[in-house]
Amino acid sequence: MKRYRAFTAFILIVGALVALGYGLFGPQKATAALLSGLTLASLYFLLGAGLSLIFGLMDVLNFAHGVLFMVGAYVGYTVFGNPRLILNTAPLFLALAVGIIAGSRLAPLIPNRRFIPYLLALAGVGVTLWGIRGFPLRPLVAFEPTTAGGAIPTALAQEPLSRMLLRLGQLALAGLLLGPVAARWGREDRRAAPWRSLALGVGLTLLAVLLLLGRDPLERFLLGLSVDVRFFLALVAGAATGAALGALIETTLIRPFYGRPITQIVLTLGLMFAGAELVKFIWGKEGRPPMAVPSLFAQSCRSPNLLAWLTERCSSIDVLGRAFPTYRLFIIAVGLLILVGVALLLKYSRLGMIVRAGVQDSAMVEALGINVRRVFMAVFALGSALAALGGVVAAPFVGVYPEMGSIFQLQAFIAVVIGGMGSYTGTAVGALVLGLARALGDTLVTTGIALPGMAQALRASPAVARASTVLMMAVVLLVRPAGIFGRKE
Amino acid sequence: MAALLEVQDIHTFIGQFHILQGVSLEVPEGSITALLGRNGAGKTTTLKSILGLTPPREGKVIFLGEEIGGRRAYEIAAMGIGYVPEYRAIFTGLTVEENLRIAERRKGDLKRKADFIFTLFPDLKRLYRLPGGQLSGGQQQMLAIARALVPDNRLLLIDEPSEGLAPILIQELMGAIRRLSAEVTVLLVDQNFQMTSRLADRYFMIEDGRTVRSGAMADLLNEPDVIRRYLGAVI
Ligand SMILES: Nc1ncnc2c1ncn2[C@@H]1O[C@H](COP(=O)(O)OP(=O)(O)OP(=O)(O)O)[C@@H](O)[C@H]1O
Ligand SMILES: [Mg+2]
Repeated sequence: MKRYRAFTAFILIVGALVALGYGLFGPQKATAALLSGLTLASLYFLLGAGLSLIFGLMDVLNFAHGVLFMVGAYVGYTVFGNPRLILNTAPLFLALAVGIIAGSRLAPLIPNRRFIPYLLALAGVGVTLWGIRGFPLRPLVAFEPTTAGGAIPTALAQEPLSRMLLRLGQLALAGLLLGPVAARWGREDRRAAPWRSLALGVGLTLLAVLLLLGRDPLERFLLGLSVDVRFFLALVAGAATGAALGALIETTLIRPFYGRPITQIVLTLGLMFAGAELVKFIWGKEGRPPMAVPSLFAQSCRSPNLLAWLTERCSSIDVLGRAFPTYRLFIIAVGLLILVGVALLLKYSRLGMIVRAGVQDSAMVEALGINVRRVFMAVFALGSALAALGGVVAAPFVGVYPEMGSIFQLQAFIAVVIGGMGSYTGTAVGALVLGLARALGDTLVTTGIALPGMAQALRASPAVARASTVLMMAVVLLVRPAGIFGRKE
Repeated sequence: MAALLEVQDIHTFIGQFHILQGVSLEVPEGSITALLGRNGAGKTTTLKSILGLTPPREGKVIFLGEEIGGRRAYEIAAMGIGYVPEYRAIFTGLTVEENLRIAERRKGDLKRKADFIFTLFPDLKRLYRLPGGQLSGGQQQMLAIARALVPDNRLLLIDEPSEGLAPILIQELMGAIRRLSAEVTVLLVDQNFQMTSRLADRYFMIEDGRTVRSGAMADLLNEPDVIRRYLGAVI
């Protein structure tokens, strides 16, 4: 019955928004606004899904979620256009990780004195700084999206192999020092199988060395791939980076502080600022222009309909006489695909069942003999991967810039609040409502309302577009304080 | 007979509060043992301490001959302890089937136990596809017990199963607990002394977070003033 009312509210709100659009702007512009709204909704949803799942299951407000969106976008962008940066930095991260894995196995050998972890952490950070000292970040980052190989020739930009191998050793040593601290901090499961860490360590070492030794041919190979393949790789790399970062954030910043929500909020907020600064430090303060789109959306022409577009591969499509960028249809499709995919996962998989149960009562799930912490980490990683994927998908649409994380995160938070914290359906609905509201606000600004008897249309200031989403939230919360699909507080 | 579960002088804190200040008990295999005490005596906290949901700070919990203090709740549960919490904490958003399936520890647990569960609680078969939230209070209680029977548990911790149930349902519940106790050992907490006294062979009584008495249920029944004093119950 509750659900029935929620659905009614949802239909009414969306109906009202659509009717408002058609009434104010007529079918042509309203349809364009509708599609733009869906595009935004799709991105809000990709961010909001993780936020909402993480909040519902773990009662954690993850303010670092936007960072994952932004990092996803930057990593995707870099894999797509400047792989040499990845090829020269990824081995360093891998070496550090290998060191930490090995070091965490050494934790039991470390004498149990209070000051020792601090000492190790200090030494580890020191060695890390030593390992990355003088790393030629600037020349490696510099590239022009149009010319393969970049503004500075790769051979000049990157360091000789011997220097890089030395760095690998230094970072592995740093990891070795940090490992015992990390193990104690993250309260790792004591009986994790040793062969597993060994296999992981050896695997990562091999990967690091191979990436480094093969960096020149690999770069040429990657840049020689078609735009479509590189785009796909960007999606995969972005999502994978998101998942890995999410797991890392959960184990280091969230897990030690369950039951202390304020600490978690402060830590993730801190990460939000630190992440933005780090991205500025690596890639610069200015953003980059939108990433190139796959060939399906690349021809500069306008297709009359969907079928024609599939053969003509035009960058835009005719919608009631107006051009609409086809890449945005792709964004909508990705959003829908993830919406359905995660819904199926939640409904039919065992993980999904555990998540649904855990949203209600995670202590009871644990009492059934299920390692809830591991489920928390999986959900955190999944949510982070979706956010990062959203970032990559957004890169050809809005470009990449350091503020994109906090801007989209704010909207995603509003979407989640409108839909009802912790409800998956609610998040989808909230994203849709918010996307439509924002698109209407934008249209109001760009075209204005033509009133009879007035020479010029009445135009709203750009602030109205930005305010439209907050206004929408206020209206919804007045009617349903817990959000459209929210349970009572 | 060696005890299946042994609790030795545990102390549990919730936040600043020293809730359990020396609870000891023993549950022999193949019996129903009652944990008695007034409201707020610490019965629920004792069950949660055994399971590691509120880990005791001092004392020992020994299950199957192993000391389990300090382990995570999921590890303890997976050793073979089923928990039926008070207020019948079933998952309201999951169907009856999912509520049972989620308790599986090995594939096929539910299939193997289905017959046993449905002979104990025939109603659940009819309600199999309904969301747990649509079940009546009595049905939810049956489901909560059934859920604990899905994996191969050695011990069930059952907390206030009769709370809020009509007398006729309590009869049904008693029958079910008696029958399942042929398969699995039970540590039972219930305010309904009529029920616990008829089901349990032995009892432990706690007051203000301490074990104050224990013995055979038959002996306790001969001491009406003790019962009145500690439980406020009249037989
Ligand atoms: N979260 C908590 N914070 C503070 N005190 C608590 C908390 N939980 C329980 N207590 C206190 O611990 C004591 C024991 O509680 P417990 O729930 O174990 O009692 P009980 O014997 O199960 O009672 P009942 O018959 O009411 O279920 C009570 O005095 C209660 O007030
Ligand atoms: Mg209780």
